[in-house]
Amino acid sequence: MIRSINIFLIILSIVMLASVYALKFSIEGTAAERTALTARIAEQEGQLSLLKADWAVLNQPGHIDPIVRRHEAELEIAQVKQEQFGSFAGLPMRPAKPDSAAMNALFEAIAQGIDPIDAILELEGIE
Amino acid sequence: MAALAEGHAPTIALDGARKQRGSLTQARIRWMILGVLIGFALVGGRLIQLGMVETDQTIEGQTRDAIQASRPPILDRNGLEMAVDIRVPSLYAEPRRIIDVEEAVQKLRTVLPNLSEEWLRNRLSGDRGFVWVQRELTPAIQDQVMRLGIPGIDFITESKRFYPAMNEAAHILGSTNVDNQGIAGIERHMDSESIALLQELGLARGNALTPVELSVDMRVQHVLHDQLMDAMTRYQAIAAAGVMMDIYTGEIIALASVPDFNPNEPATALVKDTFNRITSGIFEPGSIFKTITIAGALDSGAVRVTDQFDARYGVRFGRYTISDFHGKNRILSLPEVYKYSSNIGTIRIMQAMGKDNFRAFLSRLKFDERVAFELPEMRVPTVPNTLSEVGAATASFGHGLSVSPLHMVTAYAALVNGGNYIAPTLYKRDVAEAETLYERVLSPQTSDVMRYLMRLNALEGSGSQMNRAAQGYRAGGKTGTAEKVVDGRYSSSKVTNFFASAFPLDNPRYAIVVMVDEPKAENPQSGTTAGWNAGTLTGRLIQRVAPMLGVAPDFNEALDRQIVPPALR
Repeated sequence: MIRSINIFLIILSIVMLASVYALKFSIEGTAAERTALTARIAEQEGQLSLLKADWAVLNQPGHIDPIVRRHEAELEIAQVKQEQFGSFAGLPMRPAKPDSAAMNALFEAIAQGIDPIDAILELEGIE
Repeated sequence: MAALAEGHAPTIALDGARKQRGSLTQARIRWMILGVLIGFALVGGRLIQLGMVETDQTIEGQTRDAIQASRPPILDRNGLEMAVDIRVPSLYAEPRRIIDVEEAVQKLRTVLPNLSEEWLRNRLSGDRGFVWVQRELTPAIQDQVMRLGIPGIDFITESKRFYPAMNEAAHILGSTNVDNQGIAGIERHMDSESIALLQELGLARGNALTPVELSVDMRVQHVLHDQLMDAMTRYQAIAAAGVMMDIYTGEIIALASVPDFNPNEPATALVKDTFNRITSGIFEPGSIFKTITIAGALDSGAVRVTDQFDARYGVRFGRYTISDFHGKNRILSLPEVYKYSSNIGTIRIMQAMGKDNFRAFLSRLKFDERVAFELPEMRVPTVPNTLSEVGAATASFGHGLSVSPLHMVTAYAALVNGGNYIAPTLYKRDVAEAETLYERVLSPQTSDVMRYLMRLNALEGSGSQMNRAAQGYRAGGKTGTAEKVVDGRYSSSKVTNFFASAFPLDNPRYAIVVMVDEPKAENPQSGTTAGWNAGTLTGRLIQRVAPMLGVAPDFNEALDRQIVPPALR
């Protein structure tokens, strides 16, 4: 009885020993992986910070302005003038109503084969 | 053992065999306990010893965290980066691990030839644990040094501050030193607030820091800086500066002063004359101060906008007579006094108010104390505590007292925003938040009259040059040409010119003060008074920035008629 318990305990301790070591090594492996990843993240963050700085430089009005100036002639651009601004309030109002009687007369004339444009063209001497 | 002893048949046995065995076992147990205790004591002792060892985490007196600490990015009001952190490698050495100093020196100098051989040899020899060799290098150099394979030489990644706008916002941002601590400008102000603490605790690392948002608009800032640089060549001025403020929130939209420096190279800030003229320069403001005097007098009720003032003769104080620059020598109405910038008229207006009331009004507008502002570079203005009759007379047109342009822009903002003093700020602030900080200095009615007077001066007075460039943006302001004191006398050839303005005056949003120091005439047809340089500069500035700020041009003359006070219609 005691002997079989002993054998069982010995086997159990060997198994535990093996598993503890396996666990230890796997954790060490994971830790190494983690360190490598941290280093890579740090490196990429460094590169990212440089890219961000680059982007910030390229985006500065002080950087873009000289480029615009250089290409002013080629792109036919110039600084906006006050007169070029408009607003909806500045648009003229729509004419009160379309002259429907005149339109009807015109359509009827065209339907009958008389095109008032023809008369103008003839007058101008174009065909 | 016991079995052996039994075999030899001892002659005398005092104890029974069982008892003998028992005591033997007890002795063994004692030895075992002793052995185990010694074992534990050894392990425990070693643990304590290991616990006592203090590993040196500092780098030349600073903690590693402080070296690697980063600063939050600074953004403008539209989210454009004004300052960012970049990670750069810094080269250090551990002299106690270097085997062959001579070899290390020779190899390092192949990559970094600008290091002195002598200095490097001293640096690398000895028994120190950590010395910097060169900080803030490029990744390319890091690669080359790594390839040399010198033992005891390694890199650490540091945060370095980078300002993508270069010179443009130099005086706002300030700069940082090699340890990434703010030494000037808003960077220094941020440190005094909270970041220094975070850095010390080692929390300010990585990208976790919330960006700091400023009130500055980089587009406007660029235009202002561009115009100031232009003024330096166009008028051959020795300096130029400008500041623009949102009159309702007190936010500074742009602030520039040239000559300036490149914050990426903090050493350039030490060059003479690069100081911030807006905050730490104090000047006699000249005629732009007349606006203040007239506002004070109108608000006190001592004069009305319809009053007339005798400007036929100069004002005499004992031996001195103060007269006008371009005297009209007739009786002027109040708007005319302003329009023609009459010294005599302004003195009469101040006298109607009384010099003590005038002095009290200056205190109300905080002209005798430092402006509450974030930048550490500030100077206390010099305004006499009590004004004599002559002192009050000269002060009424801006001589005999010195204030910073920031004082002027803050005062002008209060004059046109309905009469509320609001301290300027470089951080974002909304109107609701600003309203809790308002201090009433003028009645809204006086503020309305001031808007009219400033617009009138642009239409008919010394601001017309400005108005020509800024057509349609309803801008208005006052010129100021302050003669400089050379050898104890006012010189007429050396002047400091100001233009203080606000736009759009039918519903003002922004106040501007522009300064040009010692300008020359642009061409023989032009002059050196403020309208020619500071005035036109302001006009060009408004023309370019107004569309960016959402102010649409409007040529409707009814807008100008609308702001005329009822008493004058």
